[in-house]
Amino acid sequence: MFKWIHKFGSPPFVYGVSKAISPWIGVASLILFAWGLYMGLVKAPPDYEQGEVYRIIYVHVPAAWMSMFVYVVMAISSAIFIIWRLKLADVVAESSALIGASFTFLALVTGSIWGRPTWGTWWEWDARLTSELVLLFLYLGYMALRAAIEHPQSAARAAAILAIVGVINIPIIHFSVEWWNSLHQPATITRADGPKMHISMLIPLFIMLGAFQLYYFHHLLVKMRAGMLMRDRRARWVSERVEGGRL
Amino acid sequence: MTPKRKQRLILVSLMLFGCAAAVGLIITAFKQNLEHFHSPADVVAGAVSPGTRFRLGGMVVDGSVVRATDSVNVQFDLTDNRDVVTVQFDDILPDLFREGQGIVAKGQLNNDGDFVASEVLAKHDENYMPPEVAAALEKAGQMPSTAATFGSKTLVDP
Amino acid sequence: MKANTELFRVFSTVLRREMRVSFASWGEGLNPLLFFVMVVTLFPLGVGPEAKQLAAIAPGVIWVCALLAMLMSLDGLFASDHRDGTLEQWVLSGQPLSLIALAKVCSHWLRTGLPLVLMSPLLGVLMNLPAATLSTLAISLLLGTFILSLVGAIGAALTLTVKQGGVLLALLVLPLSVPVLIFGAGAVQAVAEQRSALGQLSLLAAGVMAALALAPIGIAAALRVGVASGD
Repeated sequence: MFKWIHKFGSPPFVYGVSKAISPWIGVASLILFAWGLYMGLVKAPPDYEQGEVYRIIYVHVPAAWMSMFVYVVMAISSAIFIIWRLKLADVVAESSALIGASFTFLALVTGSIWGRPTWGTWWEWDARLTSELVLLFLYLGYMALRAAIEHPQSAARAAAILAIVGVINIPIIHFSVEWWNSLHQPATITRADGPKMHISMLIPLFIMLGAFQLYYFHHLLVKMRAGMLMRDRRARWVSERVEGGRL
Repeated sequence: MTPKRKQRLILVSLMLFGCAAAVGLIITAFKQNLEHFHSPADVVAGAVSPGTRFRLGGMVVDGSVVRATDSVNVQFDLTDNRDVVTVQFDDILPDLFREGQGIVAKGQLNNDGDFVASEVLAKHDENYMPPEVAAALEKAGQMPSTAATFGSKTLVDP
Repeated sequence: MKANTELFRVFSTVLRREMRVSFASWGEGLNPLLFFVMVVTLFPLGVGPEAKQLAAIAPGVIWVCALLAMLMSLDGLFASDHRDGTLEQWVLSGQPLSLIALAKVCSHWLRTGLPLVLMSPLLGVLMNLPAATLSTLAISLLLGTFILSLVGAIGAALTLTVKQGGVLLALLVLPLSVPVLIFGAGAVQAVAEQRSALGQLSLLAAGVMAALALAPIGIAAALRVGVASGD
């Protein structure tokens, strides 16, 4: 088990794999984006009540989904880093923060644009909007703490502790604001009695979700390479790669 | 057992006790009506006294909306398919407000048993479908009820 | 020596030391309380002295001011212990660091949280809150400020080695304190609107128990990181 982790968790190996697969993932994500946007914005029918406006879900829902997914990835890899001291896990967490914050920001902006025609207001202090905003603050705090501590090892560990504390708090924050003020519609797709969305609208949404997911993986792989180079800049495998022109 | 281990055991059991107490307290809290959300049936049953601010959720009864000619004052009936409460509102209604639509109103009861709203929020539902499908479902009488769920409460289906 | 008496001895020794230190410089300890009182009194001046309006915003205003006062006092919670090497001794002492951290947090709360709680009914009166809500205000602050001490201490420990970490500390702790604010102010609001606040108060109590159980681990872990990076 540990041998396995050692091999697949070693930066030179991961660097090579990342370099080999990341272009393909990038291309796949682009194709899904093009296909999903065409299906969602052109092919899918208008909604019976909201008309054309609802089409913003093809950006809003995947962005909101990813904002939480990325935070969970960040917290899990932080925990792995704290418990097993696996440096690669810290690279994953570090590389996820900015893109996670960007997804959160995108979800907030598109949600606000959607809120204007349907709720009649740009911003409503609604449960999900508020907890998404708090999530953005958590991402920003993570990045700020990381940037503020000079010693890189301590910065990594302190940020990891913060990410773990944050992930315990997210359900509490979500529940508390939900109780506090809720206007957002209930979940459409993840419900016990099956999705409440017509299939012609649902398929483009899943395509867009896939596109966002692949885009995140692509971004993560590229950013991790930079992170590994930075961290191991004095290691032999890096200088070998630089000399061989295989960066 | 070495003293160090015993110490650790004591600390861990204290921690578990803390977590268990927290869970117990959360369960106690959930037994309270935290949302202060009531349905028309609750109101008719006398669960809320006049002067207490709460949130009332339900569907606007078809044909019940009466608009004043000289002001924005509006009156309509709200139902959960069991009981009906009359709501008075003295402000501009949101765009999505229409008859048969689910809304949440914040306010309090007056002495006549009417609900005086200070705020009316329209909910758009969680159903997405093309207009043709909606029309077909309507025809077949299988349209999902618009105001199915509010927060943790589910309204009674007809 | 028995393990449990040993644990209690560690806890009480640190607590007594901390209390003695804070009594020695008691003037400094009053600053958060002064801040709390002054900021609350700014609101009638800014919003206008209309009684009804003040009563409507009072629960939120008093709670937000208490939150900020706690936050201000947290900055530098571990700084002097770090500077003079006490923290290092604690880490090396072989005694459970989480327990020492808990004692430290308790003393911090006794020094800053408790005075806020005791002062709050008076401020409630100034803000024209109905008399029936004053006890709920104090109880909600009693529970809430303790959670803030515990959660805030994690932030203080994380920013241990950051120079001028006060703003960063606020950035880290404020998002985490959203639930405390919602339930705390919500409890007072509920009583003001003639409803029961039992739900909110038991959620705050749940928060105290959970934070008591879990936060010391986080504080200890963060302190270890800070000490290890010790330049």
